[in-house]
Amino acid sequence: MTRVSLRRVVKRFGNVYAAKDVELDIAKGEFFALLGPSGCGKTTTLRIIAGFEYPDSGQVFFDEEDVTYTKPYERGTAMVFQNYALWPHMSVFDNVAYGLKVRKLPKEDIRRRVLEVLDLVGLRGLEDRYPLQLSGGQQQRVALARALVVEPKVLLLDEPLSNLDAKLRIRMREEIKKIQRTLNITTIYVTHDQEEAMSISDRVAVMNQGRILQVGTPQDIYFRPKNIFVATFIGKSTLLQGKVVKKDADRVVVDVGGEARIAGKLASDSGIKEGDDAVLVIKPEDFTVDPPEEPYNAIEGVVEFSMFLGSFTQLRMSVANQNLKVFIDPKKEVKPGSKFVIYVKIDDVLVFPRSEEVLEVA
Amino acid sequence: MDIRGSLRYLDNVLILMIVFSLALFSLFLILPLADMISLPLAFTLERLVSGTKTGYSLIELFSDPRLFRTYSTTEPVKISQLGGATLVNFIGWNFGVIPNTLIIASLVTLNTTVLGLVVAFIMARYDFRGKMLMRVLAYMPLLMTPFVNAFVIKKLFSFDGLFSYIINSVIGLPLKINVDGMFGVVLTQSMAFWPIVYLNVYSSMMLIDPSLEEQAENLGARGFKLFRSVTLPLSLPGLAAGAAVVFIFSMEDLGGPIAYGFYDVLSYSIYSNIKAAQNIGEVGAYVGALSIVLLALALAIFFGIKRYVSLRQYAMLSRGGRWIPRVRKPKLVGSLIIYLVVLPVMVFTAMPQIGVFITAFSVRWSKAYPEGFTLDHFASILKNPDVITGLSNSLKYAAIATTIITVLSLSSAYVAARSRLQTLNEVLDMISTSPLAIPGLAIASGYIVMFTSWPFKDTFLDPLSIYGPWLLVVLAYTVRRSPFATRVIYAGLQQVHVAYEEAAMNLGASRLRTLATVVIPLLGLNILSGALLAFVYSIAETSVSVTVGAIVAGQKPLTAVMLDFLTGGRLAGLQLAAAMAVLIVVTQLLIIFVTNVFLKQRYAFIGV
Repeated sequence: MTRVSLRRVVKRFGNVYAAKDVELDIAKGEFFALLGPSGCGKTTTLRIIAGFEYPDSGQVFFDEEDVTYTKPYERGTAMVFQNYALWPHMSVFDNVAYGLKVRKLPKEDIRRRVLEVLDLVGLRGLEDRYPLQLSGGQQQRVALARALVVEPKVLLLDEPLSNLDAKLRIRMREEIKKIQRTLNITTIYVTHDQEEAMSISDRVAVMNQGRILQVGTPQDIYFRPKNIFVATFIGKSTLLQGKVVKKDADRVVVDVGGEARIAGKLASDSGIKEGDDAVLVIKPEDFTVDPPEEPYNAIEGVVEFSMFLGSFTQLRMSVANQNLKVFIDPKKEVKPGSKFVIYVKIDDVLVFPRSEEVLEVA
Repeated sequence: MDIRGSLRYLDNVLILMIVFSLALFSLFLILPLADMISLPLAFTLERLVSGTKTGYSLIELFSDPRLFRTYSTTEPVKISQLGGATLVNFIGWNFGVIPNTLIIASLVTLNTTVLGLVVAFIMARYDFRGKMLMRVLAYMPLLMTPFVNAFVIKKLFSFDGLFSYIINSVIGLPLKINVDGMFGVVLTQSMAFWPIVYLNVYSSMMLIDPSLEEQAENLGARGFKLFRSVTLPLSLPGLAAGAAVVFIFSMEDLGGPIAYGFYDVLSYSIYSNIKAAQNIGEVGAYVGALSIVLLALALAIFFGIKRYVSLRQYAMLSRGGRWIPRVRKPKLVGSLIIYLVVLPVMVFTAMPQIGVFITAFSVRWSKAYPEGFTLDHFASILKNPDVITGLSNSLKYAAIATTIITVLSLSSAYVAARSRLQTLNEVLDMISTSPLAIPGLAIASGYIVMFTSWPFKDTFLDPLSIYGPWLLVVLAYTVRRSPFATRVIYAGLQQVHVAYEEAAMNLGASRLRTLATVVIPLLGLNILSGALLAFVYSIAETSVSVTVGAIVAGQKPLTAVMLDFLTGGRLAGLQLAAAMAVLIVVTQLLIIFVTNVFLKQRYAFIGV
């Protein structure tokens, strides 16, 4: 088990920052996810930890050891690649045994450990197949077995499930989680899928444009986003803009235009004052059609568009000339063009100071 | 990324590969050429500065009547009477060495471009009976029959050759033709080189997204307008590359000038002066100066074309949509052109190679055509000690060269494909492809200049030492033929995802181990077919073989022995040389067969 720390890591490709002052502390045995949209720098950060890229500045530590410029083959990490990178000219057994052969283990030990790990990933019996004779899910397991068998200091997974279909993806992520729990290996998992990140990891780091925006448990990230990007990237939240008319401790009332006033909770210590521009962030599933327990907001708007999606109905409502995305009970019938009142608990409305970022996200 | 940052990605194996590639190309390509150039340049500088004439300078080049004349010593076409028939002599001009070389290269480039373009267009856009035959015919001139095809063409087109015989005796016209001199060289080279243009243009045309032509048609362009405004411009990269290679090949060709005795060209002048220098022990500044001209012209074309072609890198592979090549049946006029003009011309250009085969099996060729059938020539070359020595030398040299090429090409291609040093990759890419454009005769004279003097004098690299020239010949083959393998391996590397290597290194494998267990096994077919190509082209090498390689009798490669048989006035010399050429062609066909059928690789062809 190894602790991984990144200290002020900077990596630029041309004028684009793939990593900008990245600070991370990943504990021994922790399952840690790097989450962000494509191009945010999460894969580059992972590759810096693996040693395939060297940072322009900053340092990478495994426990106390500075491995910033250590060659990839001297680091003791093991990576599962997005496209698996299984060598097509080697059998499943030879693929998995590769790292052990490199470590010059006795033949019988290699055989025993390869078969053990194939058992673990449920591939016992397929050791003589070649990668091209396997299904996508099986290839995925071989790639995982190949990484696990060397008992790496750090296990690195680069979007490992993105090439699988939705059902298999959910099953594999449960298995990965279970195996990681059993073996207790420090694991870093890169994904752009927030649900996957939250379901599998102990902690999540949300990245955008090379910066780490927030690190926390899935619950932290989901319920207590520290900025608008995190709030909107996680949970597909909907936004309303307005002006602060009243502030009382962390309770804020915002005028979103017309007569509509919505109360919410201040998301962070941002020193927002009465009269400042503010943004309200609400998760569409937090709206209800019946009044919830106090205290709540009742918001009146015009239904512009309604879309039945099975487990819920998605509405687009116009509230004070702003669009609001709302999920409601699918059994409730709503006519487009009609006036409609929805409710949301005050604690489910997050208030952020308005910044340039809002425009970027919206 | 800054240089310092990129250097971090290097490791011992990569550094070794870089050093090996650069050292080999520096020592056996760049330095010999630089050394050869320096002597006449020094004389030129001295002459310009102090006015004293200490040796042959570049200034002499322009005042030497052998090299430059404002008048031609021959009339291009001369008509005379012979045995009751009118004899039309196509001789061409003679303006001296340098203008002759340029005129020949220009005419050959023009001829091959027209023919290559027409055939490529027909093959790429039409479907008709006999297409397969035409495809085979187009490959015929590429069969390697060093020197012999030129002698065969000369015989076919002399006043008592097959063509005059057909016109005079078969058709009965009181007319004979005789092609000689410059026109003979132009004819020979045009027949031999046009498929180079064809293949380059053809592959360009096959890369054009059919929707581009359909779009133009949709907007009302058709027929020649469509060809001129869309097809031709989009094929220009292939056309330019093919034409450039032909121009360079023409300047460096020795077979044509030797066969026709048309000695006032750069290639022959360099060749004959190197031959003469074997006696006096050094190559003078004169050969250096001539080689500079040859090298300068070749490099100017090479770099000109590289720039031009890269500027013309149109994005022709658009995504999506259907990709059905636009092949259709020719209409009446098209059919007439194909069957009455193009096909006969192609049969005509295949005649030298067919002729070489017939000659090798014929008893004599004293009349208009070869007569009798015999296997004696094969029997006698296989008993001839010179031929056996030449054959085993060639196989030995080519085998050693191919071994070095495999390491060299893998190194330079791997570094160029994988290192993060952008500038180094570009330099390496340029150096490793430049031998395609550098005339072998320039390399030969560079070798003789550099390795016969300090600090190489009397070492095993000195061709005039007791060790003989064999090692230099091997190294020349290595440098000259490495681009064939490098390009095949580089193409393969671009298909092998870098994650395969990263996965190995991630699991603790060093670079060397990764190369041995992942890269080389995955590239196996590419490496093998690259090596086979390099091998067969090494066996057919002429420029260095007949110059440096001919210094010591017992070390001559096969092509030098062939030239001896052709020019030595030996009985049945042509038939014996043709028999040797058949051996080379059979080797070549075998290798094409193996690479195509077993290795599933397309036989790579020549292009910048």
